[in-house]
Amino acid sequence: MSRWAPALLLACAAVLLPACDADGPTPGSTVVVFKHGKLFGDAAPLRALLDEFERLHPGIMVRDETLPAGSDEQHQFYAINLQANSPAFDVLAVDVIWVAEFAHAGWLHELALELPPQERSAFFPGPIEAVTHQGRVYAVPWFVDAGLLYYRKDLLEKHAFPVPRTWDELARTAQAVMAREPGIAGFVWQGKQYEGLVCNALEYMWSNGGEVLSAGRVVLDTPRNREALAFMADLVHRYRVTPASVTSATEEPSRHVFGQGRALFLRNWPYAWRLFQDPRSRVYGKVGVTLLPHFEGGASAATLGGWQLAVNRHSRYPEAGRKLVRYLASVPAQKRLALAYGFQPARVALYRDPELLAAQPFLATLERVFAAARPRPVTPYYVRVSQVLQSELSAIVAGLKTPEAALAAAARKLREILADEA
Amino acid sequence: MKLERELDRPLWYLLPGGLLLAAVTLFPLGYVLWLSLQRHSPLHGPPRFIGLDNYLRLAADERFWNALWNTVYFAAVSVALELVLGLVIALMIERTSRGRALFYGVILLPWAVPTAVSARMWEWMYDAQIGVLNYLAGVHVNWLGSPGWALNAAIAMDVWKSTPFVALLLLAGLQSIPRDVYRAAAVDGASGWTVLARITLPLLAPVMLVALVFRTIDAFRVFDSIYVLTGGGPADSTETLSIYAYKVLFQGLEFGYGSALAVSVFVCVALAALCYAQLMRKALR
Repeated sequence: MSRWAPALLLACAAVLLPACDADGPTPGSTVVVFKHGKLFGDAAPLRALLDEFERLHPGIMVRDETLPAGSDEQHQFYAINLQANSPAFDVLAVDVIWVAEFAHAGWLHELALELPPQERSAFFPGPIEAVTHQGRVYAVPWFVDAGLLYYRKDLLEKHAFPVPRTWDELARTAQAVMAREPGIAGFVWQGKQYEGLVCNALEYMWSNGGEVLSAGRVVLDTPRNREALAFMADLVHRYRVTPASVTSATEEPSRHVFGQGRALFLRNWPYAWRLFQDPRSRVYGKVGVTLLPHFEGGASAATLGGWQLAVNRHSRYPEAGRKLVRYLASVPAQKRLALAYGFQPARVALYRDPELLAAQPFLATLERVFAAARPRPVTPYYVRVSQVLQSELSAIVAGLKTPEAALAAAARKLREILADEA
Repeated sequence: MKLERELDRPLWYLLPGGLLLAAVTLFPLGYVLWLSLQRHSPLHGPPRFIGLDNYLRLAADERFWNALWNTVYFAAVSVALELVLGLVIALMIERTSRGRALFYGVILLPWAVPTAVSARMWEWMYDAQIGVLNYLAGVHVNWLGSPGWALNAAIAMDVWKSTPFVALLLLAGLQSIPRDVYRAAAVDGASGWTVLARITLPLLAPVMLVALVFRTIDAFRVFDSIYVLTGGGPADSTETLSIYAYKVLFQGLEFGYGSALAVSVFVCVALAALCYAQLMRKALR
């Protein structure tokens, strides 16, 4: 054995040394790895921004690495690597629903200096709530997203209906227009058993004054939530304004149906707007967008989505990582990315920026949506909470369970999760 | 002395292979078993040994029983259909004298396409609004969105994908049956059915069992097609053990409980394999 050892060592060295040469930092410079989901389109604008950061911070180099676009895949990647204390990336883009979980697991650096209390009002309140765990902030909001109601302006005008403000108006308008426009579905949304269903359902519950958690307690099984979810199921089974296939619909199928001119109303995220504004779109010039409806006596509510910037707790260069977070979340950087990618910045001031508004007039409408957008229940156990909700909500939409039965079962399971973790 | 040394040696020859096998199968399996006895999640602080608590929780978890039932239903129906259809196809090909190579190529296509890709294809075909299936059949079935249809739709895709594999295996078995037996039967004036029931099927039984073992084990672990088609919905109606284990392990990050679920998949597969091994022993006798 011993006579093999030197040869083995040499072989290892031969394999490892060139790798070090190619990948290792040149002396005196720090390489910060920025991990994020795939951005739409061209990578060049982001790279240009990172190049500028390198110019401003001599000695720091940034390598950006992309993950698949799917949120579940990204969560899995981050969880596996952060759990193993991997220092393979320094700065990461985090979905709004993961911050509490990652912070609770001890995977993120607190970012008190990057987001001091006096600066928090520069961002929308929803994302600030989402990045706060036990009174401390662990990420800086980057881009925001929220649910919207798209409607066919031309059809509403033709049949002399106003844009609905309440859910009841929406259902009645949809019924009336469907009766006169054969082949048109009333209202399409996302009802497949997945995260998007929770986003949709929360908008009904919140707009009726309902909640899921309140001060760490489960307050799901209430008359307000039952009424709200009964309406959601009635859209399919009683008013019949939503096709039964909603139980397998995600964002894109519902966007397609509406985009082909085969639906009157659509619940979707802001990305759909750009696609409807394409002159080749069948609904070009016929689409309006507004706040989601609410129940009588309630207020419109939109589920918040979006991405935040955080620093890996096991990063080798946390200070350089913090600098990069501060830079990418700054007003000029968010503006440049918004212009390049059409993402919606998390900073309120940019919604008054003349140049950005000229390029994307839609942002003016979005400001009030984002101002009222709410994060999904902020808890480290959100993924488990959501899995319970997805299963029970799906049973409601499919007509298998009454809202009473489903909410009682969901509340019982959520209490188990929270008691289990306490 | 000499004999002893000769007996000794083969064991040494087995050692590298044995070590490799231990490293890639026994170690992970043991680790999963060990994990399943712990409360282990990054959200709970350091892992803690909790004995069989995860298995008690499993026994009381209605979502687990639902997933187990879905898995058994999926495996039983899909494997039965694949076996019958595979046999029919194999018998038909065996009787074809011309263009056999073409047949091979065509029937193997579904088996050759990666499952995730064909699942995406089937998802579009099943689409209730724009899917080709509803268009061709002139119906409005909510294939993937109704709890009554979704699991059967997933089974149909599995049958489409895996029947070729069964057919090919059985075809090889058919070709290994000695021709003399058939000639003797023809001399005795046996009818086609008698030949099939008394000669072909009994002599094919060992190969059929091999096909059954492979397909049942695969069906019990079904994940990729259902993950793409429905993600387990609607209302958990297509959630199999593997899908549930994935959600608990990789999404919910409950490594302990998720491992207990994974062990339950392993136990099911092992039980099925054991039953078949028993059957095979009988068939060979």
